[in-house]
Amino acid sequence: MLPTFSLGPLVFPTAPLILIIGAWLSLWLLERSAQSLGLNHEAVYGLGVVGLLAGFVGARLAFVLLYWDAFQQDWLGIIWPLHTGYLPLAGLVVGVLGAFFYGRFHQLPPLTTLDALAPALVVALIAVSLADWLGWGGFGTVTAVPWAITQFGLRRHPVQAYELLGGLLALAVWWRLLIRRRFEGQLFLVTTAVYSASRLFVEAFRDDTILTGDGYRLMQIISLAILLACLYALRQLTVDS
Amino acid sequence: MPTKRFQWSILLVMAALLGGSWIVMSQETAVVRDTGRTPAPIVGHPAPEFELMTTGGDSYSLATYAHPDARAAMPVILNFWATWCGPCRIEMPHLERASQKYEGQVMLLAINQMETPAQIDTFAEEMGLTFPLLVDQDRVVNNRYGVINLPTTVFIDANGIVREVIIGTINQAILEDRIGRLLNE
Repeated sequence: MLPTFSLGPLVFPTAPLILIIGAWLSLWLLERSAQSLGLNHEAVYGLGVVGLLAGFVGARLAFVLLYWDAFQQDWLGIIWPLHTGYLPLAGLVVGVLGAFFYGRFHQLPPLTTLDALAPALVVALIAVSLADWLGWGGFGTVTAVPWAITQFGLRRHPVQAYELLGGLLALAVWWRLLIRRRFEGQLFLVTTAVYSASRLFVEAFRDDTILTGDGYRLMQIISLAILLACLYALRQLTVDS
Repeated sequence: MPTKRFQWSILLVMAALLGGSWIVMSQETAVVRDTGRTPAPIVGHPAPEFELMTTGGDSYSLATYAHPDARAAMPVILNFWATWCGPCRIEMPHLERASQKYEGQVMLLAINQMETPAQIDTFAEEMGLTFPLLVDQDRVVNNRYGVINLPTTVFIDANGIVREVIIGTINQAILEDRIGRLLNE
């Protein structure tokens, strides 16, 4: 919808800007939630920064390694341009590993740290939805519902707004459970379960989704797997507690 | 405790059943998804058709390459550029290398924005470019593809469906990554 915007003679790409603001908001929220849960908030903030940086660098380095031959003729290409050229899955793995080892080094309690991370992750995912909507031009299926929005000449489901609502619902659940937490990890598991359930539902209204060979929506399958894993973990931890 | 465990088990089974059913109900085929859409420079839509000439007078149309009925169907990469655009100048050697490496597998077409054939020829000679540089002096195709910022690169699969639009500079690795994806589809 708005891949770039201009400020005087300068042109900015919308999606990266939203992602940067989202990262900043996530880190701010992470520090606040760590304080609420009685954690060493500076160490938890550091964990968030390390996870983000490790993910960013890991995604880029994995891409560079994959296309090493192409970079032999273009060394500058390793650091520029930065708007594309990443392997997100590799970034996720490296980011999680970076955060994990940082957390262990600072002896952060894993489950409570995850509880503090939950709202920050949801805010980051909301930022991705907004970046997709405004910057990358993601779009919903064609519909006649009264709240449809016009995108590319057709009335469509505002699917990223649905994602945003799912994210806000997950944040509200986290906030409500904060003072009633019965065991470590509960906030993270419930928030993740709510968000996964919302994505499982909402993904059906996305038109530019990745399909498997049989036409199933990949994001729905991933969401269901995460939802079931969370429910299983909740079952075990609830019974243990 | 067993009751609580049982309740959680029921919830798990219900989530699996409802979630699985919803996934099946939401199933669609890629074929259905990619047809019946209006041509637009948007991912998942058929790429807008065009026919443009090179400075030498050779005619190139999208349908010749990226169309289900094309005789030699292959992915097409459209690169929108201009001689005054610094980032375009940076990525031209990468495009040239890719056009040579993937000759016969991918068609790379560079569509100029509102410049004269003489300007394009001078630039091509200076940069040593051999792939088709198309003239769009009236900006008809640039407008059809909604090009505002240069460079803009549009990746189109062999069926004529837009797979990605990248605004900004690309390099050799990004090109190889996207070409690999187009060829593997």
